[in-house]
Amino acid sequence: MSVQDFALAAEVAARRRWGATAALFALVVLLCVLSLGIGPVRVSPLAVIEALFGGGSDVAQVIVREIRLPRTILAFAIGGILGLSGAALQGLLRNPLASPSLFGAPQSAAFGAVLVIALGLADVRSYALPVVAIIAAFGSVFALLAIAGRNAGLLILILAGLAISSFAGAATALVMNLSGNPFVVLEIAFWLLGSLEDRSFQHVALALPFIIAGAAVLLSQASAFRTLTLGEEAAQSLGVDVARLRLLVITGVALGVGGAVAVTGTIGFIGLVAPHLMRPVIGHDPARLLVPSALSGSALLLAADIAVRIIPSTSDIKVGVLTSIIGVPFFLYLIMRERRALGGGVA
Amino acid sequence: MRMWRLVAVVAVWSMSCAAASAGGLRIVSMNVCSDQLVLSLADPDQILGLSRFSRDTWQSWAAEQAKSYPRLSGEAEDVLLLKPDVVVVSLFDKRATRDLLKAQGLHLVEFTVPRTLDEVKDQIRAMGDVVQHPDRAQAEIARLDAAIARARTVASAHHYRVLPLERRGFVSGDRSLISSLLAATGLTNAAGELGLDAGGFASLEAIVKLRPDFILVSEAGDRAEDEGRAFLLHPALERFYPAEKRIVLPERLTVCGGVMLADALDRLTEELQRVTR
Repeated sequence: MSVQDFALAAEVAARRRWGATAALFALVVLLCVLSLGIGPVRVSPLAVIEALFGGGSDVAQVIVREIRLPRTILAFAIGGILGLSGAALQGLLRNPLASPSLFGAPQSAAFGAVLVIALGLADVRSYALPVVAIIAAFGSVFALLAIAGRNAGLLILILAGLAISSFAGAATALVMNLSGNPFVVLEIAFWLLGSLEDRSFQHVALALPFIIAGAAVLLSQASAFRTLTLGEEAAQSLGVDVARLRLLVITGVALGVGGAVAVTGTIGFIGLVAPHLMRPVIGHDPARLLVPSALSGSALLLAADIAVRIIPSTSDIKVGVLTSIIGVPFFLYLIMRERRALGGGVA
Repeated sequence: MRMWRLVAVVAVWSMSCAAASAGGLRIVSMNVCSDQLVLSLADPDQILGLSRFSRDTWQSWAAEQAKSYPRLSGEAEDVLLLKPDVVVVSLFDKRATRDLLKAQGLHLVEFTVPRTLDEVKDQIRAMGDVVQHPDRAQAEIARLDAAIARARTVASAHHYRVLPLERRGFVSGDRSLISSLLAATGLTNAAGELGLDAGGFASLEAIVKLRPDFILVSEAGDRAEDEGRAFLLHPALERFYPAEKRIVLPERLTVCGGVMLADALDRLTEELQRVTR
């Protein structure tokens, strides 16, 4: 292949990447609009647009601006940070099965938040909730990487992740068990299912700063992920401080996931699925994968949150349940695909 | 509910033959609702023990009074030790415990959960018979009727549509005590307009669209200890239903059907006067 051919191929790939990213962005915008238009009360598309910009009846205004808009913003931001966290963890560990939910980060964050709720320490709309959730998420991812070691194989990471998420689940169950108030237990049980229903701008204000901070930290490390594909030693020799990178990624993931979980409960598997959907289109460069993964995470959560509103059912389906129902079979499919690598780990 | 009264009477009659000697039947209550009936109708020395939640100020209107009596574990063991003449339970209490007590030869009087004011009156009468003070039951029923009449004079002129709203947006339907309270005073439960005749969860959007005259909640204040309570404090709801549009009836006044409903109705009257001022 001549140099010209190579340049041409690179240009074609770049065009495809940009095309895919632009198409994805358009899809996210479309889903946002749909999300504003769908709800238990039928509001015509025209009335929705009117209400969004401050016109129309006060009921339509309140429904669109104070009930649906915060929900849409949260779905966009939380889906995005979950997708981005998944891509970042996969980049850091050079491992396609890495994701926040497999590492027990949302479960641990949920434990932190549940503790605050059960003890009645603070209003659920106060910053105590995300802060404790973030600390718990940080602790869990840190513990996981510490337990699994520097060059842990797939199997060890997944086993350690399983252990940590089981532990977080058990600790949550203990808190519920010890709580004397049946209402609190019910609240927590509902909350753990993960939902974006009836959230307000108070919740947006609670989660968004942490999500933005987490995203900024993760995106700033894009080039380091790319260097890391050459291997840890090579990256080190090229000036990447791997220990610092690891700490930054954990911090970014904890900020994003903790902030998200604090307002929605646990929403799993977006972080695992989103990067995988993008890899065939974008290629395997972890730096280029970050933004498309975030966008596809947003699209996934927005779509799931729209789905729970239109799937006919006697009582409302929680969006976290839906993402897990779809996510777990996908995870199984990935395991099947990675079977050889996993089998090699045992041998 | 006549049947319950009959069951209770027969049960008590058969027992009083055995325990006619000492001053009145000795009673154990195993449910927070029957606790309150027993406390208001029985003599203090008749009460051997009350339910596990008897001192819970959220659930029990008589929590303070309950403190001077032993609190039971909710299991069968301590009831067996007390050897009461009558054990008052709810049909919603643990079946295994009830069966065990029956098998041990104790006399159980089982109360159901009343859904209407008439059923409440029947239960007050039935408990009056159990504790052998039917006169007190009669007086309490008269107090309840007087409270209904007072509330009616304030409420019935306007036919307000009131939506009883609980955490997470749960709405009590037609067959609920709260609906019966509203109906007795001439108010309308707006749940029917939401298609929730049997009760159920209402969406925030649907409530905002319906715009009932008032919402009825169990607590004031703006602290959300969990997401269920945060529902009631959502800015969209607060905009149309600030404190001046919220009728507040504490849970302990409405969660059980008993003599406290007279207080609940008086409170409802006061609240209506406040919000319609």
